[in-house]
Amino acid sequence: MTIRFRMNSRIECIFFSEFHPTLGPKITYQVPEEYISRELFDTVQVYIITKPELQNKLITVTAMGKKLIGCPVCIEHKKYSRNALLFNLGLVCDAQTNTCALEPIVKKLSGYLTTLELESGFISKEESKHKLLPIMSTLLEELNATGACTLPIDESNTIHLKLIQLRKDPPIVQEYDVPVFTQCKDHFIKSQWDLTTQQILPYIDGFRHIQKISAEADVELNLVRIAVQNLLYYGVVTLVSIFQYSNVYCTTPKVQSLIDDKSIQEECLNYVTKQGHKRASLRDVFQLYCGLSPGTTVRDLCSRYSLQLQNVDERRLIQFGLMKSLIRRLQKYPVKVIRDERSRPPRLYTGCHSYDEICCKTGITYKELDERLENDSNIVICWK
Amino acid sequence: MTDNSCTVISSGSRGNKLLFRYPFQRVAEYPSSLTAKQRNPYALNTAGDGLEDQDGDSRFSDIILSTILATKSDMCGKKFELKIDNVRFVGHPTLLQHPPVIQTNADPSVISCMHNLSRRIAIALQHEERRCQYLTREAKLMLAAQDEITTMTEMDGSPQSPFRQILPKCKLARDLKEAYDSLCTTGVVRLHINNWLEVSFCLPHKIHRIGSNYIPPEALERSLKAIRPYHALLLLESEKALLSQLPLDCSPAMVRLIKTSSAMKNLQQLAQDADLALLQIFQIAAHLVYWGKAIIIYPLCENNVYMLSPHANISLYSPLAEHFTQHFPGYDLPSMLAKFSLPVSLAEFRNPLEAPAQEAYLIQMVVWMLQHHLLIQLHTYVCLLVPPSEEEPGLRDEDLPLAARVGGRSLSTPSALSFGSPTSSDDMTLTSPSMDNSSAELLPGGDSPLNKRMTETLLASLSEHERQVILNIPAAQNPEDLRMFARLLHYFRGHHHLEEIMYNENMRRSQLKTLLDKFRSVLVVTNHEDPIISIFQSPME
Repeated sequence: MTIRFRMNSRIECIFFSEFHPTLGPKITYQVPEEYISRELFDTVQVYIITKPELQNKLITVTAMGKKLIGCPVCIEHKKYSRNALLFNLGLVCDAQTNTCALEPIVKKLSGYLTTLELESGFISKEESKHKLLPIMSTLLEELNATGACTLPIDESNTIHLKLIQLRKDPPIVQEYDVPVFTQCKDHFIKSQWDLTTQQILPYIDGFRHIQKISAEADVELNLVRIAVQNLLYYGVVTLVSIFQYSNVYCTTPKVQSLIDDKSIQEECLNYVTKQGHKRASLRDVFQLYCGLSPGTTVRDLCSRYSLQLQNVDERRLIQFGLMKSLIRRLQKYPVKVIRDERSRPPRLYTGCHSYDEICCKTGITYKELDERLENDSNIVICWK
Repeated sequence: MTDNSCTVISSGSRGNKLLFRYPFQRVAEYPSSLTAKQRNPYALNTAGDGLEDQDGDSRFSDIILSTILATKSDMCGKKFELKIDNVRFVGHPTLLQHPPVIQTNADPSVISCMHNLSRRIAIALQHEERRCQYLTREAKLMLAAQDEITTMTEMDGSPQSPFRQILPKCKLARDLKEAYDSLCTTGVVRLHINNWLEVSFCLPHKIHRIGSNYIPPEALERSLKAIRPYHALLLLESEKALLSQLPLDCSPAMVRLIKTSSAMKNLQQLAQDADLALLQIFQIAAHLVYWGKAIIIYPLCENNVYMLSPHANISLYSPLAEHFTQHFPGYDLPSMLAKFSLPVSLAEFRNPLEAPAQEAYLIQMVVWMLQHHLLIQLHTYVCLLVPPSEEEPGLRDEDLPLAARVGGRSLSTPSALSFGSPTSSDDMTLTSPSMDNSSAELLPGGDSPLNKRMTETLLASLSEHERQVILNIPAAQNPEDLRMFARLLHYFRGHHHLEEIMYNENMRRSQLKTLLDKFRSVLVVTNHEDPIISIFQSPME
């Protein structure tokens, strides 16, 4: 499964600036030409060719509607006029752009150029310095087009660059969570992933929860959690809750998107139709979702709406609804509200642990837990 | 949001100088550094001396800060943003001085809020400078204090932060320190520059938090623009507490509103009772919501149905539980919350055998729970979905349901008022409410040709098949019922709840419910929270 690339930060210009022995700070090359005006450079040059304290730091300065990201380099040696070579290869974007993903690229480029200069005087020699211009052109084009660039510079040096989009931290994966693929499992290229992930892959079916996957795939629980968290980070899977016919769900405001949004409609009807049956109708599916409400179990739904369920797989119906947040699960939380002074404080019946969690951790079934708690007048059950 | 600090830099003919910074550099504060080698006060300070300091601006010496932050004149009057490794500087350079605020790894809306703060301070300072050279005077005090310290240090060799000495002498420095402290704790800043001009600011990201989630300001603004006159304002603090927080010169309209508001009064009633224009009510309400002093709800009434919010903290040991018991002795929060496990209407709490005082007590508890984001209110939404035709199933799939076909139609009550939130420009833009009446005024009198024509027009937006199915329903034979159905057609898109229909069309609940029941074969109903105001109870994922 290839992780699709989305270019959020378009690079408008790449520039190479240096401290000329007589002319001072200037832009030696820029692509496209004349992009950075004289005025703009004057305003920001103190952040491009900088004082010693700011060298080797990633500096992003915003001015005149543009953002300039660079990393000033200083190489000291007697051979240079003024005993030091000062330069900066930087990128320019629109001021509104989020440029975090470009920072590692700039840092890496400054590292490459430093190496090249130290090895073969790439920048200080005029013949090789000219090569910078076509290099910068290629960089600009390829980074904007594909987010990656591989460029041989000379016989021994090649530049490898890749834009990595930063994603949000994934939530913690619990043992009672169920991973489900967001796209067709067949598109998944196994070889791209680590061994643990490959081992648990066959067991991710949208119904097995983490604990079960760990047991059946014979992989340690925490490893499974980490592997799934990784898949979650890349958006390959999402988490839903364990399916049982005794589960209770209710609709969210997003359920209306099934009516408003044609693409979600299509996706839904394709997903929930029973294999080999006539395609389910929108009305039936919408009625089923709307039939889910607090106090109604999936079993109740099946008996009330048996007609609508003729062409619909109820397990996939629930799965799709959860994945797209059209419905949400109502979990039971026991709370021990009355207890005498001598007994121990409740450990699990505090309102923080759902039935799912308690059953998963202690190994008892829902039915058993229900029987225990139903007759205990000291315990109230909250659904949310 | 992590580290923060404030600095004041001046750039002039004598070069750049860092006048003040807060918090002071940590190196100077640790007594262990005093025993270290004697520091040359003119040397560049590298954040070393054995102290590990990964983030914040302590890495940057005073001198380097003054160089990098003293911008050229063409950057003045605009937002200034500079990022060096992990430290971000945000400020508003003004032709005189600029107070940047430093941040690390912040998200864009936080940065623009910070910029707003520094811009406000800059404007106030500019004003005072023009009026009485306030800034020049303060700057002189800061320089003098710094010189004093430098001389003292040279003499007795004990390194101290010059900025600490500035505090007692310089009001501006104290103001900036206060701004920093309150920003870090409550997220609310209230300053009086030169004891005269008020600068107030709040960071929505700190104020609007439910549990560990915060409500993004853009979502807040979207919600505020969509509130309707039938919504109500629920104050999050007592009337007395709120009034005591208002500045002396606040608008009397605000005071009136606070005094007259109630959880059971909708905004339209509030306008009447407080003798204010509805537009003004919207504005003031939005202001209170933005500052975290109130939320928007549907006014309390016995038909309201409430359920536990999915984000409610129902832990036995939560501070909320303790709070609740203090407020309502003899009751515990989890037991009360358990009552809302299934959706329950306020009417169901009514017990004819109990004293009316008991009922009022219960209402108070519900209000308390709403204020603490524990409950959500459920509304009923209706959607028109006609059974597909038998003959051409293929065609049915191509048909878009009514909801998708009939686009956005304006409603007959003021909605979508656009007003600038307090952070955007300081002038509020108001558009007049759309008062056009979209539901046609139908004349009573059954079967008149005019009514018939109107009904036909309203049903024209339906497909032939849909029209046929509806007309075949027994209830459709009654012209009154058919007319009412046709009139309400545009509400059956799943986006308007019953209370809204009742309000717009001036209908009783029983009337509406009877009609819905008669046409139930083509309607699908469901219950969920109102997405416009649900943001206050369940923040975005």
